[in-house]
Parts: sequence; C-alpha cells; structure tokens
Amino acid sequence: MIRGGGSYVSSPPAFSNDAKKLLLCTANTVSVFSTATGLQITSLEGHTALVTSVIVVPAPNPAAKGLCYCWTASLDGTIRRWDFSVPELLNTVDIGMPIFSMVIPSLCHPAEGKEKHGSLFAYVSVEYTKETQEKPKVFRRQIRKCNLSKSRLVGKLILGETPKPELLIVSPLGNFFGIRNKCKLHIWKVPDPEPERAITRITLHHTKQISVIAFHPTQRIVAAGDVTGRILVWRGFGNKTFNKGNAVVNERLIDIEEDKPGVRDNDDADSCSTWHWHSAKVKVLRFSSDGAYLYSGGKEGVLVVWQLDTGNKKFFPRIGSPLLHFIDSPDPTLSSISCADNQIHLLRMPSLGILKTISGIKAPSSYPEAYKGLSNGIAFDQTAGLVALRTENYCIQFYSLVDDRGISEVQVCERNHQPGDDITVIVTAVALSLDGSVMSTAEVKLAEEGIGGLVCLKFWVSGSQNKEFSLSTIVYEPHRDGGISAVTFHPSGCMAASSSFGGDFKVWTCNNESPKNEQVLQNSSWTCHAVGSYKKKQMTAAAFSADGSVLAIAAETLITLWDPYKNVLLAVLGETLMPIVSLSFVGNSDNLVATSCGSKAQLSVWSMSKLSLSWSYKLHIEALASAVDLSSFAALALLPESSNETTFDERDGVILLYNATEPVPTAIWSARKAKGGALGFLKVNPSLAEVISVDGKSPELLLAYMNGDREYVLFDPYSKNAREVSVIHKEDLAAPELKGQAGQFGYASIYGDLPEYDMKRTPNSRVPSFPSERPWETIFSGSSHALPPLTKLCSAFLESLLEKRTAAVE
Amino acid sequence: MAEIRPEQQTTTISKTFLIKPKLKPKPRTQSQTPESKYWSSFKSTQIPNLISSISSIAFSPSPPHLFAAAHSTTVSLYSPLSLSEGDVSPSSNISSFTDVVSSLSFRLDGLLLAASDLSGIVQVFDVKTRKRLRRLRSHTRPVRFVKYPVLDKLHLLSGGDDAIVKFWDVAGESVVLDLFGHKDYVRCGDCSPVSADMFITGSYDHTVKVWDVRVENSRSVLEVNHGKPVEDVIYLPSGGLIATAGGNSVKIWDLIAGGRMVYAMESHNKTVTSICVGRVGEETLGSEAAEDRILSVGLDGYMKVFDYGRMKTTHSMRFPAPLMSVGFSPDCRTRVIGTANGIIFAGRRKGKENVESGGGNVLGFESIAGPERRVLKPTYFRYFYRGQSEKPAEGDFLVMRSKKVKLAEHDKLLKEFKHKDALVAVLSRKNPENVVAVMEELVARKMLLKCVSNLDVEELGLLLMFLQKHATMPRYSSLLMGLAQKVIEMRADDIRSSDALKGQIRNLKRSIEEEIRIQHSLQEIQGIISPLLRIAGRR
Repeated sequence: MIRGGGSYVSSPPAFSNDAKKLLLCTANTVSVFSTATGLQITSLEGHTALVTSVIVVPAPNPAAKGLCYCWTASLDGTIRRWDFSVPELLNTVDIGMPIFSMVIPSLCHPAEGKEKHGSLFAYVSVEYTKETQEKPKVFRRQIRKCNLSKSRLVGKLILGETPKPELLIVSPLGNFFGIRNKCKLHIWKVPDPEPERAITRITLHHTKQISVIAFHPTQRIVAAGDVTGRILVWRGFGNKTFNKGNAVVNERLIDIEEDKPGVRDNDDADSCSTWHWHSAKVKVLRFSSDGAYLYSGGKEGVLVVWQLDTGNKKFFPRIGSPLLHFIDSPDPTLSSISCADNQIHLLRMPSLGILKTISGIKAPSSYPEAYKGLSNGIAFDQTAGLVALRTENYCIQFYSLVDDRGISEVQVCERNHQPGDDITVIVTAVALSLDGSVMSTAEVKLAEEGIGGLVCLKFWVSGSQNKEFSLSTIVYEPHRDGGISAVTFHPSGCMAASSSFGGDFKVWTCNNESPKNEQVLQNSSWTCHAVGSYKKKQMTAAAFSADGSVLAIAAETLITLWDPYKNVLLAVLGETLMPIVSLSFVGNSDNLVATSCGSKAQLSVWSMSKLSLSWSYKLHIEALASAVDLSSFAALALLPESSNETTFDERDGVILLYNATEPVPTAIWSARKAKGGALGFLKVNPSLAEVISVDGKSPELLLAYMNGDREYVLFDPYSKNAREVSVIHKEDLAAPELKGQAGQFGYASIYGDLPEYDMKRTPNSRVPSFPSERPWETIFSGSSHALPPLTKLCSAFLESLLEKRTAAVE
Repeated sequence: MAEIRPEQQTTTISKTFLIKPKLKPKPRTQSQTPESKYWSSFKSTQIPNLISSISSIAFSPSPPHLFAAAHSTTVSLYSPLSLSEGDVSPSSNISSFTDVVSSLSFRLDGLLLAASDLSGIVQVFDVKTRKRLRRLRSHTRPVRFVKYPVLDKLHLLSGGDDAIVKFWDVAGESVVLDLFGHKDYVRCGDCSPVSADMFITGSYDHTVKVWDVRVENSRSVLEVNHGKPVEDVIYLPSGGLIATAGGNSVKIWDLIAGGRMVYAMESHNKTVTSICVGRVGEETLGSEAAEDRILSVGLDGYMKVFDYGRMKTTHSMRFPAPLMSVGFSPDCRTRVIGTANGIIFAGRRKGKENVESGGGNVLGFESIAGPERRVLKPTYFRYFYRGQSEKPAEGDFLVMRSKKVKLAEHDKLLKEFKHKDALVAVLSRKNPENVVAVMEELVARKMLLKCVSNLDVEELGLLLMFLQKHATMPRYSSLLMGLAQKVIEMRADDIRSSDALKGQIRNLKRSIEEEIRIQHSLQEIQGIISPLLRIAGRR
C-alpha cells in the first residue's frame, strides 16, 4: 500500500545542523526533506502514534556540522533518538503516557552539562492516563521531567498541571522554558547544574487567553501573543525569583512599590509592553537569531517583522494562508514558515523570497451550509496518477499520489486571500478529461441580499506534462441563474456536458478538431453545442458512456439518456426513490450505476441493454469510481451511525468492489473518516510500473481511497492475499545533495572556504602582516590584538573584495 | 576562468490579483485583418487648395521617391519626407504649360520627367532644375498619356485623342513609330516591366492593344476587349498579366495565355478612373514577404485594394470626393490619391528612413557633424545620472529588481479595506466595466449594500448617474437592476430631500421606461417570428 497525504504542519519542524535538511512530523513518521530541492530524502519510521516533537541535537562545534542525531516524542508515549542520515533508531525511552510536547534544554548549551553529569533531562508535556478515578479529568495534563540517560521519569515530580495539553517552549540558550496556561504564562528556570528536583517557576499574568510564547535568544525577554491579536513583551522577567539562591516555587515576593510599567499583579518582570496589529489570534511568534527582531503571524497570512527596540514593523503580506510555525535555521539566510494549507515555504532570509515550497496535500475548503451537499471536489487523473483537489482560496491543487507531493496549483478565481470568515466564492465542481489535458471548473459567487450572484464555468487546458493549466474559456452564467450540479467530459476530451439545478443541461464542444496539437490547443475555445431539458426537472448528475455515444443525465429521480452529438433523447430510465446525486457508467460493460442520498439512500445498477434496474442496495454512498476498461466498480459506503462503535473501531465507512453484473461485492475493505472521502482508479502505465510493485509484480490498476482529511492510500484491489504495494523511490528524486554551490552561504559564499583554523595554535606563530599573495585568507586569522594596523588591513581587505571571483573559483 | 554563481531563484511571497472586469466574448471574425491594419497604417495628410482635378500622379523610381501631381496647367513636385513632417507645400512647381496637363511619367533613373498636355505637346523636363529640355510636337489633338518605358532611357510612348500611339526618340525630338489601330481616343497605356519593346494602350473603343516595336507592319500583336471605354491599364509586375479599368470594373487578363480574362472585379459603384500596383509587407523582408495588390480608385470615392493572388478585395477605404488618380511609391511608404476637386490625400507609413539615400544626398547636403560631447561636470544634472544607462557586460552579476505591480486607485483602496472610497473612486473614473468589477468584488466581500448606505448625497448622485446610464445595458443589467432597486429602497429619505437626486431618479425612471418599451417591441417581434420558425422547422 502506498500511503500519503498526511499533514506536514501538525508540529513545528526542525532544521538539521547544516541547514540542508528539514525534519517534519508527518503523522507516525518523521520525514526528512532536502532544503535544496524541496523533495523528501528519507523518513524515520517507528513511532506508532502521532509524532509531536522533533529536536535536532545541535553540533557542539562548527566542525561537527554533519552531526545528524535527533530526538522525537510521540503520542505513543515513547521518546526516541535517531541518526537521521542513515536513518537508524538509536534508542527508545518509554514513558507510558502520551507526550504532547518535549523540550531538552541542556541541548541548547552543548557539551558541558552532559559531560559532567552524564544524564540528559527532558521536560515533557504528557497526559496522565493512569488512576483516572483519583484526579478530576481537567488536571490530567502535566508537565514532567524525564531523565533520558536513565530512560525514566524523574520521580513523582510534577512541574505543573494544565487543563489542555500545552506546547513547551524553550529559550534558545536553554536556561528557561515555559508554557501558556489560559491567561497565564509559566516560566521555569532550568537549574544549572541540574539537580534532580528543585526547579523554580514564575507566572506572568494577562487578561486574555495567551496563544503563543517566545523567548529572546540572549536577554531575559519573553513575548506572548494572545487570542485578540495583541503581543506582550515582558522584559527582565524573573529577576528576583531566579536570582535568589534558593527560591521556593511559586513564592510571591512582596516588594517595595516599584515602577514596573505594564506589569500586572505584581508579576516578576521589569516592564511589559503591548503591541497590537493582528486582528485575530497570534499563531506565530519568534525572535530572530540575533534578537533584534520579532516575527509574528496569524490568521491573516501576513508575517509581521517587529523591530524589538522601537516597535516599528514591516509586513510580508499575502502568504495566502494562516501561518502556523516559523523556524529559523542555523544558516542565517534560511528559514521556514509553515502554513495552515499544509505548505512549508523555505524563505531566503532578509528578503523573504520563497526558495522552495514543500507542498503537502491541502485541506478541503470549508463551505456555507447551503452547499454542504456538494460533490467532494476531487477528480482523479487516471493515467498520470494525479488527483485534482479543490482547496481553500479558490485553488485546485494537483497532487501526485505516487510521489506524495504537490505538482502544481491552478487559481480558479483570481481573488486575493481574504482572512474573513464568510466564504462568498465557491468552486462547486471539478472535472478532468480522461487524458488529463483538459479541466473544467464551476464556481458560484454568492449573492449579497439577492444581487450580484454569478455562476461561472471555466475550461482549462494544459500544454505539457507538468499540468500547468491555462484558462481556455470562461462561460458566465452557463445556465442562467441555475447552479451547476455536475460537469463531465467525453472520453475523447473534446466534448463536455454540464448539468444544472436550473433544469437544463448543455453540451460543450471544443472548436478545434485536433486537440493533440499543442499550439492549436492553446487557442482552442469551447462553445455550446446543444441544450436539453426534461420536464423542467433539476438535472443533478451527468455521465458519458465509455465509447462516448450516450450521455446519461439524471433528472431528479429519473435517468435520461441522450445522444450527445445529435441532442436526441434516447430513453428514460426510472425511477429511484430519492434524487440521484451521481452517475457513472461501468467501464465497457453496459451498466450504469446511480447513487442517491437522503433518507432513502440507494445504490442502483441499471442495465443499458434491457433499460431496466438490475439490482440495488439501500446504502449511503459517498463516492463512486469505475475503471475505464473493466466491468467492475468501487463504491465508498458510509455505515449507519448505530453500528459505528460496536463492530468497527472508529471506522465509519466501507469500500465495496462490485462486479457490475453481480450484486455480491467481490471485495470489502473498511475505512476511517469516510465522510467526504473519494475513490478513484489509477492506471499503472509503464513509467509508474517501475516504481510500484506488488510482491515483485506490477498491478495493472490501483484503487485510490482518500478520506475526509485527505489522507490517502493506494492498493491493488484484485490481489487477494498480499495487498502490500511498495514504492521504490527513484534515486534521482531522493535529494541530490548539491555539494559546494548550494551548501555555501554567508561569508563562504562570497570568499570561498576559509582554511581550517586551529584554536590551539599560538597566536604569535604567524603574524599576518606580511603581504602574501592572498592576504585576505590569513588576514583575520589571529586574535584581534595581533591584527595589523587599519591602514594595512584596509587595502588588503578592499583588494579581497575586488578579486572576489578568482578567489571563489579555485 | 571566472565562474558566475547565480543568485538562487526566489519567488516573491505575495501574489496580488487586481480587480479585473469580466471578459467580453471575442467576435468570431476579427474586426481588422492584418492587411487592413497595414493599409490603415498610412497616416493621411491632405494637400488642399490645388486648382482643379488631379489628372495624374507619378512617383520617381529613385529614392527618396518624389512624386509629381498634375493639376490644371501646373505640375507640382512633392517630397514624401517633408510630407511626413506635415509640410504640405510643394517642393517645386513646373508651370510652363499652355493647356491642362494630362499625364506625367518619370524616367527610370528619376532625373527626367515627361508631361503631356491637352494642346498636343509632350515636354521633357529636368527634375532638379525644372528646365524644359525637349518639346515633342506631332500629335494634332490633345495628348492623353505619356509613358517612359521601364527599361529604356531613350524613348517615350504617347497617345491621344487622334487615336494614334506614337513612339518617340526623345533626344532627336522625332517620332520613331506611329501606331495606328485604335478607333477612338487613346486614354492610357503602360510599358512592359520585363521587355523594353512591349507596351499596351487602352482606348475608348473598349479595346486594349499590345504593341511590339519589333513587329514590322506596326500592327498590334494582341487585342483584348474590356467591354467599356478603358480608363486605365497597367502591367502587373510579372509582365504576363495586365489589369484594365473601365466602367465599374477592373479586369485582369493573362497575355501569355493569349489574352484570356482571368478575373473581373466589380466592387466599385461608379467608373474606375485609375489603378496602380501596391505592395503589402516590408520591402526589407524580401520579395517573399511582400505581396502585390492592385489599388483602384473610382468616382464613387472609394479606394479598393484587390489581391489578385486570391482574387479577393482585401481592403476598401472611402474618401469624401470623386477620385481621379492614384500612385504608390516603390518603397511602399507613400500612397497618394488625387481627387476631382483639387485635394491630394497623401498617406505615409512610418518606417526606417533610408539614411544613405535619404534627404541629405539628394538635396546635396553633407552630413552635419553632431554636436560635440561635452565633458560632464558636477554642475550638470546629467552628471548625477552618468553611467546609469550602462549595459551589463557578459560576466556581470545581475541583480534584478522585482517588477512593481501597478495598482489602480480602487485596487489600493480595496487593499486597505476602504470599500466606500474604492467605490467612489471607480465611479468617478467613468469606466463602466471597472465599476461593475469593483461592485462584484464588493458583493463577494458582502460590503456593497453597506457602502451604498454610507454614501453621502453627492456620492449617491454619482452612483445614481451611473445607474441611469448603464442599468439597462444587457451586460450589466443583472447586477445593476437589482442594485438600483436596493439603492432606491435604502436611500429613499435622502433622495426625497434633495432636488438633484430627484432629478436623477426621474432620469432613471425615464430610461427604465424606454427599456421596457424596447422589450415590449422585441417581444412583439419574437411573437411574429417564432411561429414562422416553427413552420420552417417542421419542413
């Protein structure tokens, strides 16, 4: 089975020490991506539940930049240590409680602490699952300390308890860590050297719910964002509590009245300032590595850069989606930003240009109530192994199911991202032609109190293999005011049919004969070929037969069959109990499947040769899929609510594979989160066959199931015994590590690598004042007091700037 | 070798979509073919106030292609270069004629000009000095045409009302051949572009005769009958085809096939008075790119362009007077049309000026040295811009500035969520498409009605004026009709209290009533037509 489509943004990612790799928590695994190519290199598999934290062990000195160890924590209650270059599991610490977050403060100031004490402490945010009777449920989430070296929790030490699992944040120097807790902020000082028990804590108060906190890299400054969009910056927190030798946890000191502007409730901080720009909850808060700037972001999709001293701000607008995490890398010119639409952008730093995007599958878009019953907006490209997904922001994302990455995006409606709650423009239907070269989308602009509504049908053509679609034709109000219920393509690709709730359907044709010719395709246009209606009934679904000679249109409970070329009504089949929502011809057999929803949901199979009902089931069908040249089809059925918990654990749907002639399913699989799911057959063409194998052989056909959260699985529906489909990753995809060029940054990218400088060498062994051929190579390699005078330095330094290129080539 | 390390490609983080109006459907046929675009690219200049009808126009074959126009007893020479600068006065005039000048012809090197007049004399002038060099007297009646052969400098061809075509030796002022055969006035003629000995003449006896000076008995070699008095005749550039004009038609004949008519073009409504050969396409692109056309002008005031390759009229152009003569310059840059009431329409197309043979040489000027380059001093403004127009060298590292997106005022205001201001800004811009686009965007933001309720009286007047103008346009009506109703409902009190707004409402009412009337009559028409269509469909 090929699985994919997980969320990349559930937890903050982490950069490797050389900033060439990015570690993302993707469900039960940690995926390692190359920052140079944006493709996945490898994954760390072993956790059995959602991975919640990943921490890269920093390199103790710049020479050990290649060090590739990381700690991960997961909801399965284990903490694991990995070598992610190999990748290999090194050791496992079992805690036995789901871990929501983990920090290891002593990693931040490397080497010394570990050597002296031999034990490494982690602080974890866990859910206390045992002894549920004793404690009220609200306080089962605890902050605990864990000795990783001895693989156990430290005694019964509970640092704090919160009603919700909270994210632990550690300061960059590793001397503080904190959590938010409703309107409060708890900060612990990490004792140094770490004793087993005593840890001091302070609490800072605020009047609103705090959503995110961040520590300053060098000073005692903590920033917090709240749900109303304010950012609070406390300076000099914990001066009294933490500086006192043996302060007791939670002790409040009553001081002489002192001027502490903005600080509430006698909290232990020097001052507190508030900045307010965001209109909604602050989701991202992070200090820059030099501590001069504070980055903040939230629902608006705007990254705000605050100058810490002045409070001046700069904006990087229109990222297009709410921001979730912002992480900077050891390379000062690279950082990453995670967006809610499952995209991770690698940013080039001061300019904030996007270098690469790691594109995960986008979440389904949300809809107003009236449009809940719409199709799921997922169209499969059977030949290329792609799926077109309707997503937020009026986009169609093309996602490669085999490679598990986003290919491209099509902006159906050219509007800027609005952070508002109201969705007024909806993409209602997506259809792809059989060869995947033509796409059709339908969108609705909702009216404001009855004025200004608009239905729009668009046809897109793609020139080449990379699925860059360009707009070919726009049809405004194709069915007057009626909304479009379905769009479907003729198997040849140069005819399409759209059916409307307004009571008619239209057949569209592409006006040039040879759609294969690319140049002609670019200026092809679609025109209406025929209009039809049946007793003014709503047309709810449409499908072309496999040879394209019959067009089936569902008129509420009836099925009408038309000749699409001559626009003649051939026959009427009827009738079902409830309006039909989808229609599909079963491959090359003479059967037609119809599904209807509602209180008397039904799956019915109609025989075209007899023009009558063959068989039917009372099933609520969420999705239908039929392969082009087979006589079987697959249906995703939702289970009735009552049977949910008893028979299937959390599984609310079944995938049924039928042969069209027989009412007994040939295979059944149960599925999770079937609501809003989709099914599709994928053909395995020779290029795909190389990478997909089932027990060494290549299957002809794969069935793809995508659940409501857009996680998907590909499997061979016809192999009975072993259903393992394995993917052999193409080597070229697995991140060609660009040595040299891409790896260099900062000083090295301009002047080339400096010669390795040895700390132990005596500074006076070589006074760099004599003019060598390349004075700039040695000019700075000495202690500062041994540097030659400025007049000598200046000319050599300027010369080095002028001779940049020859120096870089070497 | 230096290696250039390109800056890593980054894409900007922000995407900006401007508010765009809905697309209009494209017409099935293009409104302007490339060819009609070409013909309209001739920028027309009028040369007014000439004495009478322009009987003949001739272009000099040598650059800069001066042209001569005959009107009354004067021949005016014009330079196309000065025309393109807007100077409509002739560069020189020749007026040593006793009677009306009927025809003009340049010698192939452009140095001599032959002119015939109705007194029966053919005169030869030096173009530069305007001195008369020869007087050829032999015609007893008015001479109607004179022509220098295309490949011969020494002879002339002329014909006139005495029905005789004469072949002259210019230097000796003597007639070489008298060619008899026409039975009526000889009106026109042309010399073959491929042979120095062949020529054609057309006469009011409806015939065009092909002559060859090498034929002994001085009889015509071939004769074609146009069917109407022949007004003009030309050789087409291949030398095998000729075009004749007479009556309302232009006919094309194939001489090599023995005088077979190839095509008759009858797109003029009145007599075609003159035809000439024009070319489409750049001369510099070579002969493949350029195609020949026949330009014909007639008394109906039309100039028609005829593609004799495809046998199709490709362009037509109307002028406000009967047209008498047409000329097209060999460099395809100038097109001149003379009218019956003394106006010349000269069209000139923009293009590269041919430098080496341009104005300077012909007029005898040496090229003037350009102004000396001054040394830049800090007192000059340009000093501060020095070096900024420098082109990058091959090895230079290019830092690209990201392109700035141009935002209209309403785009900017919408970006700042100043919805009402955006609506007012676009309303004052008078572009209905943009206004509707902004309104649609406001609907998508659910802000349109709020904007309407926030408008003050003056801005409301602006909106009402817009609604009155455009509410009945079918493209916008679906939105604007609904909006107009809402506006009146929401702002009834404001409208009642202001006289100006009341006036607007009255206008709006009137235009709606007008629209209703139109709809009624359209429905009536539909009612008449639809049964007819039914009947037609049944058959």
